[in-house]
Amino acid sequence: MIPVFEFKDVCFQYPGHDEFALQGFNVKLPQGEKIAVVGRNGSGKSTFFLHCNGLYRPNSGGVFFKGESLAYDRKALRQLRQQVGLAFQNPDDQIFSANVFQDISFGPLNLDLDEDEVRHRVQSAAEACGITHLLQRPTHALSGGEKARVALAGVLAMEPEVLIADEPMTSLDPWARLSIFEIFERFHEQGKTIVMATHSLSVVRYWSSYVIVLQAGRVTFSGTPKELLNNPRVLEETGLSKIWWKVDPAFPENGAADF
Amino acid sequence: MRIIDRYAYQNRISRLDPACKTGIAFGALLLCLLLNKPLVGLTTIAWMYFLAVFWARLNWRVFGKVLLAESAFLILASLGVFFSVSLKRDVGSLWDWRLASFWISVSRASLQQGMLLIARAAGAASAMNFLTLTTPLMDLLELSRRWRIPAILVDLTAIIYRFVFVLLDRFNIMFMAQDSRLGYTASYARTMNSAGLLGSRLFINAFQHSRRLQLALESRGYEGGDFRALPSTYQPCRYQAWIGVAVFASLFAVWGVT
Repeated sequence: MIPVFEFKDVCFQYPGHDEFALQGFNVKLPQGEKIAVVGRNGSGKSTFFLHCNGLYRPNSGGVFFKGESLAYDRKALRQLRQQVGLAFQNPDDQIFSANVFQDISFGPLNLDLDEDEVRHRVQSAAEACGITHLLQRPTHALSGGEKARVALAGVLAMEPEVLIADEPMTSLDPWARLSIFEIFERFHEQGKTIVMATHSLSVVRYWSSYVIVLQAGRVTFSGTPKELLNNPRVLEETGLSKIWWKVDPAFPENGAADF
Repeated sequence: MRIIDRYAYQNRISRLDPACKTGIAFGALLLCLLLNKPLVGLTTIAWMYFLAVFWARLNWRVFGKVLLAESAFLILASLGVFFSVSLKRDVGSLWDWRLASFWISVSRASLQQGMLLIARAAGAASAMNFLTLTTPLMDLLELSRRWRIPAILVDLTAIIYRFVFVLLDRFNIMFMAQDSRLGYTASYARTMNSAGLLGSRLFINAFQHSRRLQLALESRGYEGGDFRALPSTYQPCRYQAWIGVAVFASLFAVWGVT
């Protein structure tokens, strides 16, 4: 099957920085999977995601969406951004309107849909995220968990094929996390792909069906969680083996787990 | 600000079409300014108080407190109208006091003018208070969109309104973080230094934030230009228009009678 995303030797450098944010970045994201992206802070997760949405353009190398090389003209970008939804780490970075309804309708309106369709999409995205009761609330009067769900609804209202979420669980309480997981689950049940950056190793092990490990702007591993746990070399190199057994009692202290 | 904002969203008429509330408030404001009798201003205050408490179901203390806070400025500002200072004693004045070689006096005309000024200004202010306390800002912006105010102004106001709260949150968090490490208790110099650091951090923060926001908007298909928004659905104005008529009629009546 054609991967949803393929990165071939992508290099990217932020202007004014000496080191590369992405360097010789190669990865294939399989379709219809729940993909966890792990890596230390600054390992290039966010930069990677911004490339998937055509927001950043690689200095060299190629990004392919469903086998096609990304084009950066207006029409192609519009199509790409409809199909690939990006949820930012901090909902406050993303929610720009003081009105929940207006914020969620922003994406669909940019797709030039007619008014009835936009209202319909806002409603169903709000239902999917369990926030219909918040539609008339001002965004600054929402709790952290509610903001996260509103931000997600704003992305889901564009009805993307791929949902990319940058550490959506960070700073949320367990109940709010559960509601986010449920939204993801329903999204995935429609045969769609989810990519999530996470620092939670239990998410990697129990939630994801595919894992990508980043280190200093490179992909050091991609495969199933089982393959990762059975790969002592990668676990050792990334230092994951040193911490994993501490957070996961099923993981033996010395050596890889045997499923 | 947060408090006013909360009332605007939580009163009983917050979902009413803003055109209705704006019409009443601006109509009353205009009459306050046009009809030059103090009683017009006082009647407006009474009306707005009444509408805020019984129609919008605002707490009566809230409306009073806001008006009281404004009155303090008003009285300070109108002192210059009440009192006049001159070198010679004015025989026609009601009261006068000697201060060194000056005479401070209050004349009948200046008293009347001061009263009128205060009543007018307080009436106008109470009309605006009624509007701000019962109407969410986003509704007012939508109304300005409907009334063909240039979109760039409306969008800018909306963005500023949204991010004032974000900035306020950041400010609070940073301030507390500094305070917990004794940034504001050690000495005057440290306090000044902390405040400076806070200011510069906030600026950098806002700058970084705006760049992330730009990315987020683009990722949702924004290609520059005006922000598009769907009109909200409100309770339409029906009998409510009669409230406006009653207010305006009574203001005219008070003006004509006195």
